Amino acid sequence: MMTNPILRKLNAFLTKTLLWGVLGICVQANAQTDHSSHSTMSAPSKGANVCQGVGLECANAATPFITKDGQLFLAWTAGGVVSVSQSVDGGKTFSPAVKIAEHGKALDTGSDARPQIVSDSKGNVFLAYAFFKDSNWNAQINTTRSIDGGKTFSAPESLVRDSSSQRFPSLLIKPDDSLFIAWIDKRLVAAAKQSGSPRLGGSIAYSSSVDGGKNFQAEKFANESSCECCRIGVSLDPKNQVAIAYRAIFPGGIRDQASQVITSKGAEPIRRVADDDWKTDACPHHGPSIAVSKSGKFHVAWYTQGAKRSGVFYANSSDQGITYSKPSRIGADGANVARPYLLASGKQVWLVWKEFDGTYSSIYMKQSHDDGTSWSEAKLVSKTSGYSDHPLLVRRDREILLSWLTRTDGYQLIQIGNIQ
Amino acid sequence: MKKYWLSFIFLMALAVQTASADPIRMKPYQAGDWSGLVKTANGSPLAIHFWGVTCPACVKEMPQWGAFLKRNPKAKVLFIQVDDVAPEMMQKMLNKAGLDKANNYYVTGPFDERLRYEIDPKWHGETPTTIFIDQNGKASRKTGLINFQQLPSALKEG
Repeated sequence: MMTNPILRKLNAFLTKTLLWGVLGICVQANAQTDHSSHSTMSAPSKGANVCQGVGLECANAATPFITKDGQLFLAWTAGGVVSVSQSVDGGKTFSPAVKIAEHGKALDTGSDARPQIVSDSKGNVFLAYAFFKDSNWNAQINTTRSIDGGKTFSAPESLVRDSSSQRFPSLLIKPDDSLFIAWIDKRLVAAAKQSGSPRLGGSIAYSSSVDGGKNFQAEKFANESSCECCRIGVSLDPKNQVAIAYRAIFPGGIRDQASQVITSKGAEPIRRVADDDWKTDACPHHGPSIAVSKSGKFHVAWYTQGAKRSGVFYANSSDQGITYSKPSRIGADGANVARPYLLASGKQVWLVWKEFDGTYSSIYMKQSHDDGTSWSEAKLVSKTSGYSDHPLLVRRDREILLSWLTRTDGYQLIQIGNIQ
Repeated sequence: MKKYWLSFIFLMALAVQTASADPIRMKPYQAGDWSGLVKTANGSPLAIHFWGVTCPACVKEMPQWGAFLKRNPKAKVLFIQVDDVAPEMMQKMLNKAGLDKANNYYVTGPFDERLRYEIDPKWHGETPTTIFIDQNGKASRKTGLINFQQLPSALKEG
């Protein structure tokens, strides 16, 4: 039919162009129907460093919860998807993953963000995570519940009704099965901008639920001025009140650590953990950890680049945060130390952190038998040569376990101590 | 007739393409790229600015970088976006800041200690962060917002 070579070339060109055009239309249509995602186009991959799947092997963050009977629930974010799986053999094998939500590149995978998961005494599972809901990077915290032991989950719904931004949920479950959740909330910052006096940062908000997360009480603010990009540390005290630690913004734009007790009546005064004097407008993406021991002592570990102190530090308080011990440095002097995490039981306290030497990321631990007065020597627990998540600590009956997601060596659940 | 029909579709397809997102001019950046990037300065002072679209301080500051480059077109500044988001969203923010034609990169893998170590082993990933490289190749790190009045004059002169 088409014998003229010019016409033939033109035809090939038009066919190609047409194909690209149709593909373009498909991409456009997809982008419009996929409300949960900003875009269906993904970054071109370069090198082996980019893991594309939605499974645990490509996860950037994984959060464990261990039930009273020793079952492990693991929630993770990978490839824009939030997933949950279970393991009855300590993380060696997992049940098929349950996909909770798909947000593509809009899922919050910032370096201090991670999905939150807890399970109550009846086997109900509750999960919270954040994603960016609009093109101005306002985030939303979604929650979902499972009443069949984690096999199926309810459709995720927003934790609060507010058009500004909520990010970095931290979740706790109390012995009476009630839930406590704290997060970074930007509605006060958004209101300040509206009224013509913009400021940086966010606020620490919290709420609780007595029906497994179906309904939450009206949210309250613990501190109106906090860092907007650091996770909040949460722990229960011996009276089952909540103690939180977070990066506050003190007058003069000083982003130092604060702790606070939250009782059934509300938030108690804001207490400064240490005068590090870190004046910055930057996002450190590096929140603190808190653990309260049986005596009610607060144990706090944090990262700072303050004028008075720089590195990762530990301090404790015997008076609910009114006064803190002199901060002591965690990790070797001069080493790249990050991501401290604490767990306490009775008078025992465990501390883990991550060090990077240019090749290996290593997890070290220290233990105290006397409520944080004296500590064992630092001991290497595990190391990996690829990407790794923060080290976390969980309790399984009388065992203390390190939970650590690594890309090259898989998910690790390693016993580091025993409750005596 | 078929030819006209094809041409019509071709034009339609072209229109759809043109109407879609702005062209992505950013280049990928990953671990191992740092020394090559620093060498591009060729002995001139260089600023390498790390920013993220989800970092409010960065979003506030990027238009100021745009204005700075407009005033000092000879200044050598590279921008590296660190958040794992769609390139279209990064481009949108660069366009808004007047930096769409600047020398832009984005991190393709995880923005972790492994990526940062060759840049500065002491840097824990705060954003915004700017690394200044002087004429002798000496690097210094500045975390947080920049005082543009205090930027080294050598950088402005390019």
